[in-house]
Amino acid sequence: MSSRETILEHIRRNTSQKYEYPAWEIQATDYADKISRFCDAVRLSGGEAVVLQETESLDDLVRRRFPEARHIASQMEGLACATTRPDELAAAQELDHTDVAVVEGQFGVAENGAVWIPQNVRHKVLYFIAEALVIVIDRESVVSHMHEAYRRLAGQDYAFGVFISGPSKTADIEQALVMGAHGARNCLVVLR
Amino acid sequence: MSTKHSKAAEKFLQDRTMAAWHNETLWMVRAKRDKMSREVPEWEELREKACQLKLYSNTHLAELLTEFEKNAAANGAVVHWAKDAEEYCGIIYDLLKSHHVARFVKSKSMLSEECGLDPFLAGKGIDVVETDLGERILQLMHLPPSHVVMPAIHIKREQVGRLFEEKMGAEKGNYDPTYLTHVARKNLRNIFLNADAAMTGANFAVASTGDIVVCTNEGNADMGTSCTPLHIAAFGIEKIVPDLNALGVFTRLLARSGTGQPVTSYTSHYRAPREGGEFHIIIVDNGRSKMLADPDHVKTLNCIRCGACMNTCPVYRRSGGYSYTYFIPGPIGINLGMAHDPERYADNVSACSLCLSCSNVCPVKVDLGEQIYKWRQKLKEIGKDNPEKRYLSAGMKALMDHPVLFNAALKAAPLVNAMPGFLKYNRLNAWGEGRDLPKFARESFNEMWKKHKIQGKEDRK
Repeated sequence: MSSRETILEHIRRNTSQKYEYPAWEIQATDYADKISRFCDAVRLSGGEAVVLQETESLDDLVRRRFPEARHIASQMEGLACATTRPDELAAAQELDHTDVAVVEGQFGVAENGAVWIPQNVRHKVLYFIAEALVIVIDRESVVSHMHEAYRRLAGQDYAFGVFISGPSKTADIEQALVMGAHGARNCLVVLR
Repeated sequence: MSTKHSKAAEKFLQDRTMAAWHNETLWMVRAKRDKMSREVPEWEELREKACQLKLYSNTHLAELLTEFEKNAAANGAVVHWAKDAEEYCGIIYDLLKSHHVARFVKSKSMLSEECGLDPFLAGKGIDVVETDLGERILQLMHLPPSHVVMPAIHIKREQVGRLFEEKMGAEKGNYDPTYLTHVARKNLRNIFLNADAAMTGANFAVASTGDIVVCTNEGNADMGTSCTPLHIAAFGIEKIVPDLNALGVFTRLLARSGTGQPVTSYTSHYRAPREGGEFHIIIVDNGRSKMLADPDHVKTLNCIRCGACMNTCPVYRRSGGYSYTYFIPGPIGINLGMAHDPERYADNVSACSLCLSCSNVCPVKVDLGEQIYKWRQKLKEIGKDNPEKRYLSAGMKALMDHPVLFNAALKAAPLVNAMPGFLKYNRLNAWGEGRDLPKFARESFNEMWKKHKIQGKEDRK
């Protein structure tokens, strides 16, 4: 008997009482002002969220916020400051030394400041390898909580997807919080 | 007769400063968890739903695992099944060998600890690099984790500094956590970029989609799996959840309970292999299906490894992870150890004051303390009870069952106050180890009541 069959056979033999699927809905907290709650939550996670003003373009904002950046990688349209089109690179490793990555997220979650990004670039390492990560979302896209977030994922087709909430962080040395463990040291969410 | 736990705890407590720091730091994490949970009005609903979802999943494992297998295969992943640790290690080794992997990066996986993967692969000449910062520190120090979420909680910054001086060329005498973390970042970045394969565990495996979900704060799982052509993910059968809606519940509970954050920095969903790469998933039993058969302890399989029970446990906080003989410490570790091999891990059941704080913070409502109590009742059956305590208990039972005897003993009790210590605290009094007897009152409550010395509410008016 294969291990697969052995395991399944053991499971069937040892399962006695069966529990029902809990179909009841949780009465989850909805936020009246999702955008301000989202911005607060991003700040709490160590990142920053800004609403793009009409007087400024995304390009201007990135240049203004990262004046020192030499390597800016983005696949987004109309971002003149981008120095690298990541999809044109053959190997993911070539994205090392990226100062700023500018990527598109699909929606934000107000309760925890997370942004859902279904892989929309060739090398997913772009979301993790840059020193600073800029995620652009539509300000109307913010949902209240993770229940709503996962309802939005139903039926979505992605090879890889990630909720990102703030920069990479660790507290593994004496519980001292440090930003930039392996991924981005800074995380800026732009609501446009 | 002390248990291995109490002896090890005594050693841990010798360094009073460290022991106090350990206790206070974990309590701080517990306090953060409390704050987070109170900010969510529907918190108790979430816990109840999470518990019910786990009970559903763990009693429909055959259906859910085969559904997962079908969906994962449709996504382009290759699914393997491992009935035990040996098979799990073997599958990984075969994959690494057939792909000519020399440099292998790993993100944190308690399953790999359970199955002894790192020592197994080291024995086969494969260089395994743990990439979670805490795990990497411990790997370089040749030590096991002492907590499931904060593996290096027992290590001081000076130790890390000296280690990194030697292994990563860090500045001498710079023990700043920010500096040290960034030294490791640079060192590991290079390893990520040159790795041949990456491995992750799984926090959740979604039956309806075939997703493997991994939650990290550091982003190490993603750095590894984004650079290498081969991703191996392994999970214990109880990590399966039915659908994405279930994730809505679990992702709201996990980080809030574990570290007091609203969510981890990264909640990654791995579905298909990287362009031109391979994605292998190993479904592991290793004794879990056996646990299904025990109705007293089946709920242990609910555990999502958040670590909240450790942070709250007064015994864990004051004795440290290494005082337990099972590789997972704290209340959940006591129960998992007993479920896997009661004779081997019986020493740990003493590491509990039955305060039940663990049961109250557990996000998936594992009745941890209640289960430890049940295991204690079975100690005699497996020949692991403490004979002195057994006699004491039998004596207590005789007293309690016979009022005349009980009252006589009570009358005589104040005599004990005047007894010299060696008569009270000796080999025969197992209870007296580490405990002081109370001072017995000259008169019992019973006698005072009879003499109308006790004032009821009525009398006081």
